[in-house]
Amino acid sequence: MHLAYFPGCSAKGSSLDYELSTQAVLNALGITVWEIDDWNCCGSTPAHAVSTELSSALCARNLDLAAKAGADQLLTPCPSCLSNFRATAKRLEDPDFREKVNALLDTPCAETLPPTSSVLQAIGELVDCETLAKKATISLKGLKLVAYYGCLMSRPPELMHFEDPENPMLIERMLEALGAEMLDFPLKTACCGAAFGIPKRPLTAQNSGRILELAANLGADAIVTCCPLCQMNLDLRQAQAEKAMGRHFGLPVPYFTQILGLALGIAPQDLGLAKLVVPMDALLPKLAPKTSAPNA
Amino acid sequence: MPDIAKTERRIVGFLCNWCSYGGADTAGVARANQPTDLRIIRVPCSGRVNPLFVVRALLHGADGVLVSGCHPRDCHYSTGNFYARRRLELLKHFLPILGIDPARFAYTWVSASEGQRWQHVVTRFTEEIHALEPAPHFEELEPLYLSQRQSTEPKRPFMPQPPDLLAKLKEEIRTHLPELDCVLGWQKGRDALHAVPFFLRQEEDLERLSLDATCHNSLVRYLPEYKGKKVGIIVRGCESRALVELLQEGLIAREDLHIFAIPCHGLLDVARLEEELGRYQHLENLVIEQDSLRITVDGKERSFSPQAFLRSTCLGCASDEPVLADTCLGSFTAGESTPVTAPELALLDGLNLTERLRFWRGVMDRCIRCYSCRNSCPMCVCHDHCIAESRQPHWQSAEHSVTEKFFFQIIHALHLAGRCTGCGECQTNCPVGIPIFALRAHLNRVIAELFSGYQAGRDAQAVPPLLSYMVDEANIQEREWQ
Amino acid sequence: MRIGVFICHCGSNIAGTVDCARVASLAAGYPDVVYATYPMYTCAEPGQAAIEQAIHEHRLDGVVVASCSPRMHEPTFRKTVERAGLNPYMFEMANIREHVSWIGRDIEANTHKAAELVLLAVEKLRRNRPLYSREFPVTRRVLIIGGGVAGIQAALDCAEGGIPVVLVEREATIGGKMAKLDKTFPTVDCSACILGPKMVDVAQHPLITLYAHAEVEEISGYVGNFSVKIRKRATYVDWSKCTGCGTCMEKCPSKKATDRFNEGIATTTAITIAFPQAIPKKAVIAKDFCRQLSGKKCGVCAKVCPTGAIDYDMQDTFVTENVGSIVAATGYDLMDWTVYGQYGHGRYPDVISSLAYERLMNASGPTEGHILRPSDGREPKSIVFVQCVGSRDPSLNRPYCSGFCCMYTAKQAILTKDHIPDSQSYVFYMDIRAPGKMYDEFTRRAQEEYGTQYIRGRVSQIFPNGKGQLTVMGMDTLLGKPVEITADLVVLAVGIEASRGARELAEKLRISYDAYGFFMESHVKLKPVETNTAGVFLAGVCQGAKDIPASVAQGSAAAAKVLTLFARDCLASNPQIAHVDNKRCVGCGKCVRCCPFGAISTCTVRGEEKAEVIETMCQGCGLCTATCPQGAIQLAHATDDQILAEVDALCQI
Repeated sequence: MHLAYFPGCSAKGSSLDYELSTQAVLNALGITVWEIDDWNCCGSTPAHAVSTELSSALCARNLDLAAKAGADQLLTPCPSCLSNFRATAKRLEDPDFREKVNALLDTPCAETLPPTSSVLQAIGELVDCETLAKKATISLKGLKLVAYYGCLMSRPPELMHFEDPENPMLIERMLEALGAEMLDFPLKTACCGAAFGIPKRPLTAQNSGRILELAANLGADAIVTCCPLCQMNLDLRQAQAEKAMGRHFGLPVPYFTQILGLALGIAPQDLGLAKLVVPMDALLPKLAPKTSAPNA
Repeated sequence: MPDIAKTERRIVGFLCNWCSYGGADTAGVARANQPTDLRIIRVPCSGRVNPLFVVRALLHGADGVLVSGCHPRDCHYSTGNFYARRRLELLKHFLPILGIDPARFAYTWVSASEGQRWQHVVTRFTEEIHALEPAPHFEELEPLYLSQRQSTEPKRPFMPQPPDLLAKLKEEIRTHLPELDCVLGWQKGRDALHAVPFFLRQEEDLERLSLDATCHNSLVRYLPEYKGKKVGIIVRGCESRALVELLQEGLIAREDLHIFAIPCHGLLDVARLEEELGRYQHLENLVIEQDSLRITVDGKERSFSPQAFLRSTCLGCASDEPVLADTCLGSFTAGESTPVTAPELALLDGLNLTERLRFWRGVMDRCIRCYSCRNSCPMCVCHDHCIAESRQPHWQSAEHSVTEKFFFQIIHALHLAGRCTGCGECQTNCPVGIPIFALRAHLNRVIAELFSGYQAGRDAQAVPPLLSYMVDEANIQEREWQ
Repeated sequence: MRIGVFICHCGSNIAGTVDCARVASLAAGYPDVVYATYPMYTCAEPGQAAIEQAIHEHRLDGVVVASCSPRMHEPTFRKTVERAGLNPYMFEMANIREHVSWIGRDIEANTHKAAELVLLAVEKLRRNRPLYSREFPVTRRVLIIGGGVAGIQAALDCAEGGIPVVLVEREATIGGKMAKLDKTFPTVDCSACILGPKMVDVAQHPLITLYAHAEVEEISGYVGNFSVKIRKRATYVDWSKCTGCGTCMEKCPSKKATDRFNEGIATTTAITIAFPQAIPKKAVIAKDFCRQLSGKKCGVCAKVCPTGAIDYDMQDTFVTENVGSIVAATGYDLMDWTVYGQYGHGRYPDVISSLAYERLMNASGPTEGHILRPSDGREPKSIVFVQCVGSRDPSLNRPYCSGFCCMYTAKQAILTKDHIPDSQSYVFYMDIRAPGKMYDEFTRRAQEEYGTQYIRGRVSQIFPNGKGQLTVMGMDTLLGKPVEITADLVVLAVGIEASRGARELAEKLRISYDAYGFFMESHVKLKPVETNTAGVFLAGVCQGAKDIPASVAQGSAAAAKVLTLFARDCLASNPQIAHVDNKRCVGCGKCVRCCPFGAISTCTVRGEEKAEVIETMCQGCGLCTATCPQGAIQLAHATDDQILAEVDALCQI
């Protein structure tokens, strides 16, 4: 499998830790990907609100680069990028739309485009939980976690085809296999309000606050995420949410790749753990090498 | 009869009394304006509509025919429209091979409350018929004459019968004859090229038993007449399928039969050989070998390639294994018969609709209404009660018109739908060489397409597709009338 | 033949856009037509008299009336010609009103079309033959399938009318859904108090034979003469000995059996009597939960039963009953609401169905009428009711309204306040549908007197808030704002669906059902109780959503239909049925295979197999006629020759 990789613009800035940990985990799992050369913004925000054609043209260029380089599949860690890729591929089925997009591009977009997938889903498909457990050297036993997928990973279901759209369980299955206690988290696909982070800050604080509060009420040690925007919103803006809810949470919000990485025995600095605003340090002592690793 | 208004087309509707006729009434009560072309015939149920009514109308000048019934599941008679759906969908796929534009025929469902839907359907269908040319008058068409032959390689090469097969067969029959009333086989006819059916009753008859690649008549055809008697029959793989069909229809009883199955590597197309030989007085000698066929007529030896004179029905045959047998003689080739388009069908496939209709106009003119096609068909179980010759019901007149001749072929084909095992006897026995097998071959193709690969004669327990239905049909896309 | 043709003006309805006089003059030239005229109103008394007069004067032996739809007046005119001495089937109609004058303005085209439709009718009539009904005897017994309130009502009414009744109930007790309810709207009277006596009447009525824990296996026959095979499912208790004392239930060691009667909010014993007022009050063993029947050692119930009624070796048994009519009253089931992820897929114990809530409120329920949360047994103070869960939801292909949920939700809100005075109820609704007598007043009471907060909008998500309560997020569409309520208990007004097995039963009964499995009535407005199979009637929710008063009314209506049918000793058969021409039939059995009514059998005539039509079963669809290749089976009044004549009238050019 020739897997192309699209990091997305967050990966080079606000979610550098997601990028670091993703690369480290893929590497540890033996999944080889190559970053597409000269990629550009996926057009997710704010272009799609202004012009569908322009936004799709941005996406189409990336898809075209992957197609021309012979990718079997294009992976991206970011659900928002994925959503935009999928929507673009769908729209390009309409010849009239394709024509409009091609008019915006230097070279017309390839007729056949590679399928796109999230890094999360790709890991789920390529490595089963049993193998994952075998490869792990550190046990997550003692960690009480909730998985938070955000609103985009499974929606719209007819585009994303990801698990039960109201109740995805992939992260739970993975981390449970590694020893963590995964709590049922009803708000796992609720909106964190990130899109309104600037125009309607109270709304964002309230939405994020609700998620944080439920996780705290359930007694979670951390919220595991898979979306750069959600993570930033719950982590960086946690103080705003605390103010809105009138309550202190102090909940770390790591990426699922960071937790996976810890279990696979990757050093915290290689997973960018220091980038988390609410630190995870208090949790690290709970982690211990697996007592009876089958392949040790 | 009154003249049709000049701006109108001739459109016939068959509407079920309970839903669609009521829907048309509802449209009327709502004063829903509609084109005036349609004339409605009220029938109890869409299941009452014999597809032949539709063909009859279209052949006799209708520009369009619309059948409408209750929505599936809402049938007043519970399941009538489910059967109608299969039969009418089949008809829609059948019309093109006749050269009739399938756009001239539509079937749909309209409930008694759907006045608006009825108005929409009628308006749309009428518009569509107006968009077509007026229906051609079959009788007045210019005939299209074509050379009918295209060469196709057979799936399995022709081979003559193993030399000892006849002797072995005779031995087997000799053993079983005492417990049987009769054994169906062949004997030489007027000359070596023309084998005829032979009914063996005593041991002496074995002398006259003959068996070679000219013995084509399907003996299965005679079986229903012997129901209740113990009968032996010699069958090849393809003929055993006709046997299965008759068992399915309960016209013969398995326990009364003794089946002598023989292998087969192709039968000769006697009709084409005759054509090639031309008129002759005496046929003195016939030698069938793997790659040469030598016939001496009137003192002159002619040589042919047997591969080139195989019956078209044998070309796609991959296996001669019998479906049923009591005594197997010789070894058989197993394999799936993958469909091969018969040459006569391939010829029609290459024509457009008008050309096809003109083609039939040309070839059907030759028909002398001898009914050899029917009489040789193992599946024509009606025998003396064929509707072609009945006064009540009076489907066919004795009129010598090409339309009547063509209509008979359509009756025959549609009566065979889902039952034809593709033996090709109908065409082989046609004294004027009309390629009528094309119609059956096309129907078999459509049946397989619509009903998940169904092939007649494979399973005595199977329910024939036109005598069954599914609530949600897998391969029938109903028209939405958007 | 001598045919008379009448082209009706229908006032200006037809004459406005059809030249009737010209149609009549054209018709006069058609084959066998000896008389053609164009009256003003043919169906009116003078119009009919004119037909009779013309039949006598012109010695007519067939009549064509071109007027409105035959679906309207064919029966009228058949009687008219019959009065004048003709066979009623020597009559044809041409529909020149609904199919001509009302749908086109062009007089020229309409006149042409009308004239052709008259020709069509004339050609058909020329091939008509007199048809005669036959009389056949009726078995004056009725089968009622389903012992809910509709079936009970139908059974009691029929029995009171002197008709012996066979009542088949799938569950171990009759009473249906109503028996589970606590109180009923809009009077808030006790469900058991009004249904109980009726159930007892069923048990005690000498003309009612009750088969509980039984199902209809096979149905054959036809109106007046059905034969029904009933499967009596094994109960492992000999009911002729069981006294319903309940000792076995007290002693049964297997206490984790699913309590279907209590909608799963409690468990019960493996041997059980559904509820104290059950009819029949007999014990049944649930095989899956019984230790003895799952191969372990037990046998406690057999030891304690004072009458020795326990029979672990019991098998299903069958009885056959002959009846003349059947009433289907199979009711409904709740849809599987756990498909809704936003309501938690059934993961949260304190999100329950409305029927489960009825059991929580019911004094004979597992909590003895105390409303307690299934999760922790606490009394809820904040209760959210969510309406239209699985109703009016096209995304789940359930576009229909379940009809009675608005009302019982209001009732449950009122009762909740009665039970827990310091509680607060909230109702999320789409529209309040309260069109019955005293219904709207009732929902207003729930709001105004009982302080129930009605919020117009859908619930987007329900989830536990981690502090032992549930957060209900939704939209208030009247305020245009999202709302969030913290609830102790959420009650879902779960939509209804056709009862489990309804489609299979419909196929046995040879009746139609809609896309959702509800049985089809013969006519939505005018024949709401009849089905398209003669002698089979419908009562209750099996035909479509309805509440208790409507179900009872339909039960009585079905009984009235049964009594009407049985008012005569003999029934007249429909003469428009198929006939086999024995000379032409080759016995290939194609007609037998596809007859939707099983009305064709085979017989042996002079040693040959032939098809035979069972006259009373044939409904006259003509599928056999379209199937028979040799035309040996012909549907009277729609024969091949008649339809061919119609086709030829239009298409011989």
